[in-house]
Amino acid sequence: MKRGNFLLGAVSGITVVASADHIFAQALAASPLPGLPAGQNRTLVLVNLQGGNDGLNCIVPHGDAQYYRLRPTIGIAQAQVLAIDGQIGFNPAMKSLKDMYDKGSVAIVQGVGYPQPDHSHFRSTEIWQTAAPDKYLHTGWLGRYLDDAGLPKANLFNGVAVSQVLPEVMISETVDVPAIPSERGYGLVSDRNGASRSTYGQVVRDTNLPFASPYLSHVMEIEDHAQRGSEELPKLTAGYKTQATYPATPLGRSLALAAQIVGSNIGTKVIYIQHGSFDTHVSQQATQNRLLGEFSDAMKAFYDDLGAHGNDGSVLTLTFSEFGRRLEENANRGTDHGEASPLFLIGGGVKGGTYGTYPQLGSANMGNLPFTTDFRSVYATVLERWLGRPSTKILAGTYPTLPVLT
Amino acid sequence: MASSQTTSVDVGGLVRPTGRLDMAQALEPYAGTLDERSAAHLLRRAGFGGAPNDIARVAAMQPADAVESLVRFPSTSGLPAPTDLFDPIAYRQQLVQQARAGQGMFAGGARLTPDKRRELGKDVRQAERQSILALQRWWLDRMLATPAPLQEKMALYFHGHFTSAAIQKGVSPEMVFDQNQLFRQYALGNLRSLTRDISKDPAMLLYLDNAGSDAAHPNENYARELMELFTLGVDHYSETDVREAARAWTGWTVDRRTGQAAFVASRHDNGSKTFLGRTGNFTGDDIVDIIFDQPQCATFFATSLLNYFVYNNPEPELVAAVAASLRKHDYEIAPVVSMLLRSNVFYSDRAYRALIKSPAEFVVGTYKSLGLAQVDGIGLRAMRAMGQILFYPPNVAGWPPGANWMTSQMLISRQNFVAALVNEPAVGETAWVAALPDDAAKASHDLVATLLQGDASKQSFVQLASYLDGTNTSALGALSTENRDERLRGAAYLTMAMPAYQLN
Repeated sequence: MKRGNFLLGAVSGITVVASADHIFAQALAASPLPGLPAGQNRTLVLVNLQGGNDGLNCIVPHGDAQYYRLRPTIGIAQAQVLAIDGQIGFNPAMKSLKDMYDKGSVAIVQGVGYPQPDHSHFRSTEIWQTAAPDKYLHTGWLGRYLDDAGLPKANLFNGVAVSQVLPEVMISETVDVPAIPSERGYGLVSDRNGASRSTYGQVVRDTNLPFASPYLSHVMEIEDHAQRGSEELPKLTAGYKTQATYPATPLGRSLALAAQIVGSNIGTKVIYIQHGSFDTHVSQQATQNRLLGEFSDAMKAFYDDLGAHGNDGSVLTLTFSEFGRRLEENANRGTDHGEASPLFLIGGGVKGGTYGTYPQLGSANMGNLPFTTDFRSVYATVLERWLGRPSTKILAGTYPTLPVLT
Repeated sequence: MASSQTTSVDVGGLVRPTGRLDMAQALEPYAGTLDERSAAHLLRRAGFGGAPNDIARVAAMQPADAVESLVRFPSTSGLPAPTDLFDPIAYRQQLVQQARAGQGMFAGGARLTPDKRRELGKDVRQAERQSILALQRWWLDRMLATPAPLQEKMALYFHGHFTSAAIQKGVSPEMVFDQNQLFRQYALGNLRSLTRDISKDPAMLLYLDNAGSDAAHPNENYARELMELFTLGVDHYSETDVREAARAWTGWTVDRRTGQAAFVASRHDNGSKTFLGRTGNFTGDDIVDIIFDQPQCATFFATSLLNYFVYNNPEPELVAAVAASLRKHDYEIAPVVSMLLRSNVFYSDRAYRALIKSPAEFVVGTYKSLGLAQVDGIGLRAMRAMGQILFYPPNVAGWPPGANWMTSQMLISRQNFVAALVNEPAVGETAWVAALPDDAAKASHDLVATLLQGDASKQSFVQLASYLDGTNTSALGALSTENRDERLRGAAYLTMAMPAYQLN
């Protein structure tokens, strides 16, 4: 792994090595997760299929004539559907994921949504990320998990967002989650020959300042995280060798980085990744099939890579999308913002199969499919049965868990 | 995230200073004189910081005169308006006229086929996005160059308070600009009148759905946010109040032909409403008046203004005193903000660097300090990376302040923005940069004095001087012009990387 010389280097090699060992020690001490049997070091990868993934052309109700009647041009032909049974099947672009499904490592939860759905991308994304349909929260559900989990504070990578900007789902009161768009994109620039590096390390850690501020300790903590984190990540993950060929797509690159973070054992419990945009108002099939194919192939590479390192059983992937889309296609061979849609749980701990109830197409209200499983039930399942934390406080309510994990 | 070294209550990332508030003297006029530190503090809070000569000018004034010059600001009507905002209504008229002349997309009276609709939709979306980008740059430039920084500071305050977002729900760039102008018009005006007018603002009518509300199907979205986020706060109204307020606001909509707000009497619910304990055939304006009769409304705005101008999570007794002042002045903003900016508490250690700079304050302030005349793409992109995209607040609650502005990714974006900006060629031509002395110790002193008003430790002065003198390389004074310039830019970056620079 090469770092460009534009990145600020170590304050001193000794400091970094010492603190890296410290992090390792902390991470190891923290494992297993509280509430879990020994030896289980688990990670959740949350994939945001952003833009509103059309659930109907993703898990296709090919046994329902109404689907074909309302989608005369964009309906997926029955012969093309990768059938699960006589009623539903995968979009034909998702062959890799269908293979994983057949091997029992993919669960589909059908008809997921929440009451009084919002049709705005912005608000509905926020609702899925904060798990709060009826109020405005500034922390995300995984951020509140990080607040609750008591993970070692010295570890800078308890959570990682593979994105340019920290998504709301990872915003926490107590844990600073780095947003790392790519391994090379996370770092501080320096002057041309790097002469400012060591001085930077000193001046941002200035202690005898001639003023007081209630935010000073916070600013200095974050200054420290930013510098140490961007320097240490490449060192901590340098020994990892990728063992799969990922699709040359942004999602492929993001998942390769996620596998590397997991395989480097740096104590990361939650990773956020995004893929899209699924906002297919126009000419849906070409766009959505491409995105679903990319997702499906990247997932296969991800689990092949994890498997080659013996990590496939310890990484659970959960997808979400801010909403599904309308049952009836629009005049542009696309679909408009809808409501309930399916989501996937993949990999470690999953009991493969379909869960929940496919929404009755006949019960659609103005073309919107009513939800049959509350999204907070899925979150509660992941929190309680995968991450080993009680969910009631994090979700501000008690939701039944699903039998989707072993 | 809470600061571990404070004992104060952390309200969603808002941290109060430690130490005791001297309430008896807190809001009395500050009797001391200004110096460069307090002048810079005033300019940061009442605006977006100051160039070195601005700070020197204000430091020579009496505090009351300095505040007066900010509050009684000159007319800004001569400042340039944004150009070429996309107007979907004019665009439609233009297409119709072209079609009549046998030209354009609809030549020959062709119908709106799916392909044409697609083409049209793409054009419109792209034009709208371009307009909003241009509007963002225009506003940042205005924050930088205006002779009335407090006007822009209040416009930014209202943008985060009475939020609406661009592009979604049919909010056009013109509407976004009109709303922005409304905030400017009321910058130091009356809060009640602004609340009445923002309720009838086209962008707001669309963003919070009142435009689609009528007597038969009242939409409660606006009525709820009006009380929860704009004037009272949760727990100060009932669900019945929300329903009744929604009924009173029916009738206000947006005329899609003109893009203007319109009251349509046939859509208005003329029945009797019971709202916050009063009963009558209330209109929307009546609802606002009843809200402003509640003492809680003054408490709500007092808290918000103290958080913005003085320090976060203010003590209840300080809030109560400012709320009383708001009521005494019938919700006029000018006398209350003027009182805050002249007060002992404002110039006390409690308030000094007690806030975290918002991205707008950070970006505009950096251009100002470096003597750059215009915001460029570096600043525009940095705003996004730092988490504050103007005209796209994250939700109707606006941008979460305080510690929420400071994550490692946002901090990296701040530092890298400064690193990019110090390398702009124009920085070398700035008078104060060009005048930096050859002596490294003196140059480091000048840099810290100019950019941080001296707010660094002795060790940092030594570090900076040693960087300027180049460990094991040539001393600053022995460098060629080109190398000297490069090292000074590096030192300016290091100075702005210091913790004090993140604080407002």
